Amino acid sequence: MQRSRWVGAGVLASALVLTSCSSGPAGVDAKQNKKATLELWTRTTPGGPGEQGAVKLAAAFQKATGYKVKVTAIFDDFETKLQQRAAQKKLPDIVMNDVTQLGAMHSQGLLREIDLDKIEDSKEIIGQGLDSGKSVDGKQYGLPYSAQASALLIRKDWRQKLKLDVPETWDDFAAMAKAFTTRDPDGDGKKNTSGLAAPLSTKRGYASWYFSNFLWAAGGDFITEAGKGTYKPAMTSKASAEAVQWFRDLGCKDKAVQPGAVTMDTPPTNETFESGKTGMFVVGPYLLPRFDETLGKDKYEVVPMPKGPKDSTVLAEGGSVYLMAGSDNRAGQDAFASFAVSAEGQKTGMEGDTAYTVQLPVNKSVDISQVRPDPRWKTYAQVYQDSGRYAPSIPNWTPVRQATADTLNALMADCGLDTGTKLRELDKQLAGILEEQGISAS
Amino acid sequence: MSLDQAEPAASTAAAPGVPGTHKEGRRGGASTGRRARDRRSGQWWTPWLFLAPALILFLYFKFIPMANALTMSFQDVRPYLGNRWVGTDNYATVLESAGFREAAWHTVVLAAGQTAGSMALGLVLALLMEGQSRRLGFVRSAAFLPVVVPIAVVAELWRIMYHPTGDGMLNSLLGLVGWGPSGFINDPDTSMASIMLTGIWRGAPYDMMIILAGLTSVDRGLYEAAKVDGASRWQRVWHVTVPGLRSVFSILFILAAIRGLRVFTEVFLLTNGGPDGSTEVVMTLIYKLGLEQNRLGVGAAGAVLLFVATLILTVVVQLLRRRESK
Repeated sequence: MQRSRWVGAGVLASALVLTSCSSGPAGVDAKQNKKATLELWTRTTPGGPGEQGAVKLAAAFQKATGYKVKVTAIFDDFETKLQQRAAQKKLPDIVMNDVTQLGAMHSQGLLREIDLDKIEDSKEIIGQGLDSGKSVDGKQYGLPYSAQASALLIRKDWRQKLKLDVPETWDDFAAMAKAFTTRDPDGDGKKNTSGLAAPLSTKRGYASWYFSNFLWAAGGDFITEAGKGTYKPAMTSKASAEAVQWFRDLGCKDKAVQPGAVTMDTPPTNETFESGKTGMFVVGPYLLPRFDETLGKDKYEVVPMPKGPKDSTVLAEGGSVYLMAGSDNRAGQDAFASFAVSAEGQKTGMEGDTAYTVQLPVNKSVDISQVRPDPRWKTYAQVYQDSGRYAPSIPNWTPVRQATADTLNALMADCGLDTGTKLRELDKQLAGILEEQGISAS
Repeated sequence: MSLDQAEPAASTAAAPGVPGTHKEGRRGGASTGRRARDRRSGQWWTPWLFLAPALILFLYFKFIPMANALTMSFQDVRPYLGNRWVGTDNYATVLESAGFREAAWHTVVLAAGQTAGSMALGLVLALLMEGQSRRLGFVRSAAFLPVVVPIAVVAELWRIMYHPTGDGMLNSLLGLVGWGPSGFINDPDTSMASIMLTGIWRGAPYDMMIILAGLTSVDRGLYEAAKVDGASRWQRVWHVTVPGLRSVFSILFILAAIRGLRVFTEVFLLTNGGPDGSTEVVMTLIYKLGLEQNRLGVGAAGAVLLFVATLILTVVVQLLRRRESK
């Protein structure tokens, strides 16, 4: 019996030794092998057209350069799975994910700096796209391969039935949302439609993501730059508070946002638009193929967002190529990044009706109207160019987005809450986040 | 049955057939005795050999990650930059956060509600479905379905049923009696109760099956005696059935309470802690802190605290049981 206890103790000790052995930095100086297959992770639905597009892009890259690539598509909890691989110190070589993930990955040391001299077409990349890949210290850690901005989708048949014009101002927008909610636009005799589709759940900070289109057009801000790379909270500013109040009234007073929005992330929200439950949706171009198929191309139209109290600024986003730390094939990583932004890579990424990875090109030499003659794409390209605005480059944008999403979710879920009090609480929270990240102005 | 337990039976069985065995064994000295014992009980490492596959799996998939989480809870985790030792900072961050205290309270409320609700409903279902009839087997299987349906499906099903307008499934039922429509998971006032109801719906059939198994051990004679004494149906349940199921209840309580404290999937899928944080539980908060905000150390500290709370609860219930049985 004594002996078996010793055995048990030995096993436990070994476990602890193994555990402590795995806590140091590792993998940064991996032995290089140009023939090693590059593992590429892309944030898209497995088995869906996005994955096919990525596979097509990888195949073209393989053919052009000889490097081998294995594509893995992950959509749900992409960041979680990446964290798990980071904990194992075995990251994929390349990640294609949202531009806003840069700070979170960079602050953890998961990214390798990109040397623009090694990227052949780096001078052809659109300026604001290139800037979105820079960390707070101005170094390049992400390379955009695709861009997008939000535009307004409207049920054309509903609008025409109710004899409404395309909204030019926020008042028109609110009036249309209200009319779609109250005037039975689908003609089934029931009050079962809503004006606006909005994913307002806190998952991935969706509520904040969506609301940024309205906040910025009103001249408000989540956090505002205060010089020398420092920021201060801005949700209690007059413009921000008015934007929150206006958006809140759409839900609380006009009841023009779809029921259940506060617990909905993107998939159920998309369904409300395609199933004829909502009539307006502020969203990027990536949903066009889906809605063309489920709803019908003739049923809806794409227009720029109406002008807000300040201007028509909308959220610009996109995907970036991230070169991950610890790779054993850095030459292959550089080659892929170079190919993804080249004219050839961009055109390959845009091919097809559904299976594409590039929404709007980031390479100035690629003309979208030549690759995709559909005028709706031209609208998106114009919106991106004229009114697109990326989230600021701070060490970690995720906590800011999460905190603002929590507050907005609360204000939309409980119409009895005091907006001023909640926004003051939010600003206090944002101040703490900025302080923690070392970029606070105060 | 362990090998040690088998020993007396083996020696008794050998004795009649071989009368001199014991005497010879004693005469042969200590070494002969040990050999004989080894033959009967095997080498010391035999049980370890049988246990090894399970132990190795547990070691790599349970104990090492647990030890890792414990280490991480004292660190600022940065896998590629090297972790930094921060002492108890992560614990302080978690404990000082108002969000954590609220989440802990929500967890306790949800665990208590789901545990009590599932056990009560499970008992009612078990009493209704007790018996030998063949048809009951079918009904029991049907009632057990919620347990075998994947939780993701359950969550989606209830999300549809909880649709917050008058034409939603549950709301149309409420409308029949002149109530509603309720916001269910979309209203901060009703979201917690709605999630609790889903949990009870899913947990009750599991409890029902265990209670049904426990009911077979209740002496039928006691029911008859109680009936003879003039006890009503309710009195027979309260004074005979419930005391007879005491050990079943305590096991169910531990299982359900642990399940309740670690509740995650249904909350994550139905509300993700919202609206307005009204259903935020410890596990969803840990998930957000650790994996969405990339603060793995803080998340690990929250997980360790949850583990300690679960351990304390289990130990306290065990001690109470032991004291009661004495």
